[in-house]
Amino acid sequence: MRTRLGLAFGAIAALAVIAAAPAAAQTTNGIQVTVDQPRITAVIGDRITIRAHVTNSGSTASDPLIAHLNVASLTGTYVDLEDWTAAPTQHVNPLDAHATTALSWDIQAVNAGRFDVYVVMLPNGPTSSGIGPAVASSPVEVTVAGKRTLNAGGSLPVVIAVPLLLGGAALGARLRLRRR
Amino acid sequence: MTTLVNGEIDKTATGRPQSRGQGDWAAVAGQESRDLWLSGRGPLLLFAFSVLLSVFTYLAATNRAINFLEQREAVDQTLQIAVAVGVLVTLLVSADAISGERERGTLEGLLLTPVSRRAIVLGKLIAALTLWFATFVVSIPYIWVLGRGVSIVRSALLLGLGVGTLLAVGLAALGLLISALSGSNKVSLAISFFLLLAVFAPSQLPGGLPKGWFGDVLGKINPVGSGLHYSTAVLVNGHGWTRDLEYLISPLVLAVLAGGGLLILSERIVRLNPGGER
Amino acid sequence: MAETSLEARRLTKTFGTRTAVDGVTFTAEPREIVGLLGPNGAGKTTTIRLLTTVLTPTSGEFSVAGVPSSRPNEIRRRVGVLPESAGYPAHQTGREHLTYFARLFGMSRSESSRVATRLLEQMGLQDRASSPLSTYSRGMRQRLGIARAMVNDPDVVFLDEPTLGLDPAGQRQVLRNVRDIAADRGATVILSTHTLTEVEEVCNRVLILGEGRVLVSGTVAEITSAVAAPRFATLRVPGSEVGAARQVLAGLQGLTIAASGERPDVLRISRSGRDGMNPVLRALLAADVTVLSFEVEGTRLHDAYLALTGDATVEEPSE
Repeated sequence: MRTRLGLAFGAIAALAVIAAAPAAAQTTNGIQVTVDQPRITAVIGDRITIRAHVTNSGSTASDPLIAHLNVASLTGTYVDLEDWTAAPTQHVNPLDAHATTALSWDIQAVNAGRFDVYVVMLPNGPTSSGIGPAVASSPVEVTVAGKRTLNAGGSLPVVIAVPLLLGGAALGARLRLRRR
Repeated sequence: MTTLVNGEIDKTATGRPQSRGQGDWAAVAGQESRDLWLSGRGPLLLFAFSVLLSVFTYLAATNRAINFLEQREAVDQTLQIAVAVGVLVTLLVSADAISGERERGTLEGLLLTPVSRRAIVLGKLIAALTLWFATFVVSIPYIWVLGRGVSIVRSALLLGLGVGTLLAVGLAALGLLISALSGSNKVSLAISFFLLLAVFAPSQLPGGLPKGWFGDVLGKINPVGSGLHYSTAVLVNGHGWTRDLEYLISPLVLAVLAGGGLLILSERIVRLNPGGER
Repeated sequence: MAETSLEARRLTKTFGTRTAVDGVTFTAEPREIVGLLGPNGAGKTTTIRLLTTVLTPTSGEFSVAGVPSSRPNEIRRRVGVLPESAGYPAHQTGREHLTYFARLFGMSRSESSRVATRLLEQMGLQDRASSPLSTYSRGMRQRLGIARAMVNDPDVVFLDEPTLGLDPAGQRQVLRNVRDIAADRGATVILSTHTLTEVEEVCNRVLILGEGRVLVSGTVAEITSAVAAPRFATLRVPGSEVGAARQVLAGLQGLTIAASGERPDVLRISRSGRDGMNPVLRALLAADVTVLSFEVEGTRLHDAYLALTGDATVEEPSE
């Protein structure tokens, strides 16, 4: 019982360490990917830049890599990745041992709600492509506030004034012709 | 009256005009535009177009369920309507420009002036294009209302002006070519209508164009479909401005070929009898 | 100004297998009014269209005001034309229409406006200058068309059927304008018409076309003489000498006699050939026939035209 308790306590401690350091690296086969910001707040329509660093902490050069950005909704909103970014996938050249490279994605917050945005690294070498393993970064928690930008009242001046003006002009042209 | 000087008529003494020059495309464009706008046709078309846009905008504005993406799509739709209507009226006006004058008996008077045939078609082309630009200007306030909350007004306006102008130039030039070569105004207008159907119909197919290389080629060949695809890719799908440039190739080719062909062939095809003298 | 305003040499135009104009040759001088006569399809309008560069000749050459046919733009600067079936934009006013055409001849806006005002006054259209052309009568449109033909102060003016559809007063007005164009402006006028009295009234020379060819050209007198069209005379003799008169006339060649209905003593004589009626009168007098009256009618252009073309559709001058 003491052993089980000890194990549980150890697990909880590990989780606490992980939760306390949201930007901490996940390591597998020497590749680490970290994101710069743990949290971003935006309003719907805002453009956001997600920055990440990929490090090869191994002793040999890595295979070519694929870095793929993902967006997962925490509030059940349907997310179409194509709407957030047209280019979620980037190709990374083989990294030398202990080298680091920086990556960034420009995305647009097109849905309101809370989302986790994270990067997944996949090997894409001749022998490792399709096999994995995948390495994921910590998520960036993106909170997007909704905004009602289109309303009937705001559009009324245009919707009424433009046809009125043009109708008046058309009528004026006709009357001018008749009067000649 | 006349003054005789050494037995020759001295016209300088009469005060009559000495100009033996020739007018240019600007004179033709100016008068054709005045005829188009002051006769009431132009303002009436614009009024009808504005009513259409007003209905569309109001429906979008009262739709509480419309979200960010759908609002962007609404802007894209407005742009497509503006391009479609602008290009339609421009094509129809240019399809009437020469064959219509032949039938109304006014072309001969124009051919009897020293204005070159090239200047005549250029002037008529510009007058037809005023319809496109007027349509675009009318759509600006609607695009602003729909697009200001989703930050795409400037992109939408630039896209509309660029893609729409390219299409309008190409189709107006094509309309003038058809008009010059057609045996009657009815034939000219019928061919132009058919042309419009051919360029707009594929986008209305259920499920859109066929998938695969054939659908892809068909989509890129059709200048209207291709141009509108480009604007949707940038406005709705968030693509970069240079990513889908190949979709602008067919509108550009149309504008260059039709416009260039019109100017080069004008001396031969702008005649009293359609298709030249035989 | 060139001595010869217009010169056409073997001008020919074919449309496929049909020859519309066949070897037309003629000249015209400044201040001259040349009439173009011919039945429908004779080639009058096609000839005018060739000379005004609207159509290109199949062969032959011409020059207008000294400018050769190889420079059509230059020719257009120097000619004014009223086409046969000229259309006018319904929504333009008379002033706008003339101003526009003046601009097409390279005039500035202010100059165009002045020219338009002057021409409208000359044509008696100043009161309707601001009315749309759709409200103009046919006569007004023809006058506007003549004004438009004068906008560039041309050296040669081509008028194709300018009096078509006009009432007599309108026709007279147009003919006055035609005379003024030649006399006051020193321009050459080429007048295509169906109305022979117009030709007789204003034209210095006439070309009669038939099937695309020039059948005859010259002054009216030259043509009537050259064509040897029938001449007519009305003879009145005492009732008792009708037989004797008929006997004398029967002896003359080329003579046809018709009694004039109710009056057996009045004989209508027609004679073809170039000799005229003098020998007829001499023969009657030599035979001691009492001639109560002998009225000779001048050979009319109408008769010459009819003899040449057989075109019965042309208007016969009223007696």
